[in-house]
Amino acid sequence: MAALTECCLLSELLAAPRPAEWEVLRRSAEARLQAQELPTLKDEDWKYTDLKALRETAFTPGVSAEVGIAENILPEAVGTRLVFVNGHFAPRLSNTSALPPGVRMLPLATASAAAVSLGALATPESSDIFANLNHARFTDGAYLFVPKNVRVEAPLHVLFLSHQEGAAATCSLPRLLVVLERGAQAQIVEEYLGRGQYLTNAVVEVHLHENANLTHERVQRESKDAIHITTLAARVDRGARYVSRTLSLGARLSRQTPKVRMAEEGAELELHGLALLDQDQVADTHSLIDHLVPHCSSRQLHKTIVDGRSRGIFNGKIFVHPGAQQTDAQQQARSLLLSEHARVDAKPELEIYADDVKCAHGAAIGQLDPEELFYLQSRGLNLETARNLLTYGFAAELLAAIPVLSLRRQLRRAVMARTNASELEVLA
Amino acid sequence: MLSIRGLRARIGDNEVLKGIDLDIQAGEVHAIMGPNGSGKSTLGKVLAGHPSFEVTGGEVLFEGKNLFEMAADERARAGIFLGFQHPIEVPGVSNASFIRLAYNKKAEADGREELDPLEFDDFIREKLIEVKMDPSLLDRSLNEGFSGGEKKRNEILQMAALEPKLAILDELDSGLDIDALRVLGEAVNRQMKPERALLLITHFPRLLETIQPHQIHVLFNGRIVKRGGKELALELEERGYDWLKTEDAAPLSPVGRA
Ligand SMILES: Nc1ncnc2c1ncn2[C@@H]1O[C@H](COP(=O)(O)OP(=O)(O)O)[C@@H](O)[C@H]1O
Ligand SMILES: [Mg+2]
Repeated sequence: MAALTECCLLSELLAAPRPAEWEVLRRSAEARLQAQELPTLKDEDWKYTDLKALRETAFTPGVSAEVGIAENILPEAVGTRLVFVNGHFAPRLSNTSALPPGVRMLPLATASAAAVSLGALATPESSDIFANLNHARFTDGAYLFVPKNVRVEAPLHVLFLSHQEGAAATCSLPRLLVVLERGAQAQIVEEYLGRGQYLTNAVVEVHLHENANLTHERVQRESKDAIHITTLAARVDRGARYVSRTLSLGARLSRQTPKVRMAEEGAELELHGLALLDQDQVADTHSLIDHLVPHCSSRQLHKTIVDGRSRGIFNGKIFVHPGAQQTDAQQQARSLLLSEHARVDAKPELEIYADDVKCAHGAAIGQLDPEELFYLQSRGLNLETARNLLTYGFAAELLAAIPVLSLRRQLRRAVMARTNASELEVLA
Repeated sequence: MLSIRGLRARIGDNEVLKGIDLDIQAGEVHAIMGPNGSGKSTLGKVLAGHPSFEVTGGEVLFEGKNLFEMAADERARAGIFLGFQHPIEVPGVSNASFIRLAYNKKAEADGREELDPLEFDDFIREKLIEVKMDPSLLDRSLNEGFSGGEKKRNEILQMAALEPKLAILDELDSGLDIDALRVLGEAVNRQMKPERALLLITHFPRLLETIQPHQIHVLFNGRIVKRGGKELALELEERGYDWLKTEDAAPLSPVGRA
């Protein structure tokens, strides 16, 4: 197993005993891992993202730690919150007292009988080395289930915290499985934060059955010394609607690989992303929207702001299969370069095998618009304030649609702090 | 208040202003008229400090100070306001927070009290009534998705909030229906004080029925080719601009009223 000798992360994790449950999934992932190697810059999918830092660090599996979450509690979700620390369920930090009847929000370790579809969307066959590593050795995660026609008002908040204890970098393999039955409706906030040096390697699966409706906020605010890798596999059935926003603010290196299958007619998708980067941060998004059947629509807006020596990578693939007529797919990648040493590589990849479709894409990389700067200056704002405000606005456009008010405020404040636009703070 | 002498400006290789003279005293309303492309917006932008235009000659004094030694934002804080022909949309920045920020920057420069969000809310709601603007536009992103008319209302709202000494309003009438034009015209009139002045830029004389200018200057191909009182607007309404092309296009001196 080339990967194992080369990377102590893998060997250490696989040396640990196989956790209980999901035996079939784990064995199948282990079998796949035999043939998988840690990607290098020579791999087309990784040509801009160097995993040197990952290769050179010894990660040890995370153990549970005492942490506080006072700042991260969302008032709307006080009774609908699951917290994991270093990959382990933290019952004292969690509270699911406000769940409506029939709705389940459980640690996977106690839900193996219910969460039978784990690994059905992110299958080992379709998984890269990171997702397979998660399949093989994850210890716990969150299972969210909303039954038929139930509408959950309170957002379901899943918090994955990492905390480096001692000198060794830690590693956690979080997991999230979301199932919305026919006509169910929910909002989910999936959040990653932490302190110190660590690796988060997560797998998220989302299955929306017929006419289900989900808004899914995905907030990555890892420590600046962390590496964050997430595989998202989603399936959207007939008439269902999936809105997903991924905000990448933290981590020295992060990689998001959302794959969404538009599986039945009338499915709708909004798959948005924002990466706000500075210093030496690298954020890589490789997305795939798979239009398998007719009459589905997808919207994708991916924004990247790079400052310092940071680097943003976006590769957005839209695949329209033969017969997927009347597909309406639109993709926009917009990037803002704030420093001459920063860099963005944005690449749309449309593969269309149906003839009656509406597909559009655009990619724009640029500096702040001088006309916008002049407008703000003509109102008495100095150049620096005007710049900060426009940068904030560029990022905040994506936050405006977040339905969870406290989260929207929190993120606006975080973005203001990052863009030095806190003069606006009081009105956030 | 404002004294323009021999002002020349260009963008790229294109000399747009070819020697402009103009004097504006406190309490006066002046109008710049002229056909499309004659340089009206350029004059407004040069006075407001747009960095894309290069001033190649002449001087402009604002309250005795050399305008060209001040950056755009300093001019604004000193009391110059440009109402844009095409106001810019800024997604993600709330209209209310933006106007409050601008207000406080000016207040700070004037040594006045800054307003906290609650105080500002009371303050701006009064101004909203003046320009009959839908309050919900305050919570939206600055000008984003606003109709042409809403953008113009928002410009006049900002003017009302900032109380500039010299307001330059570029094509206030474009995008407005007759009723909206009257509302905004009257709002501007109410703001006129003996210590303030107004420079209206328009190529339609209609606006000048509501806001009556003391003097009209006709700009043609980068030069002022005619000056007159408000009756000149009527003449331009009847005859258009074509007859001016044949008249002597030599620059007029600022005192030479037609
Ligand atoms: N940003 C610009 N770049 C190049 N040329 C410009 C620019 N702005 C204005 N001009 C040129 O300057 C001239 C005057 O334009 P403008 O001042 O907008 O006229 P008006 O407002 O009277 O219609 C036109 O010939 C126009 O093409
Ligand atoms: Mg113009």
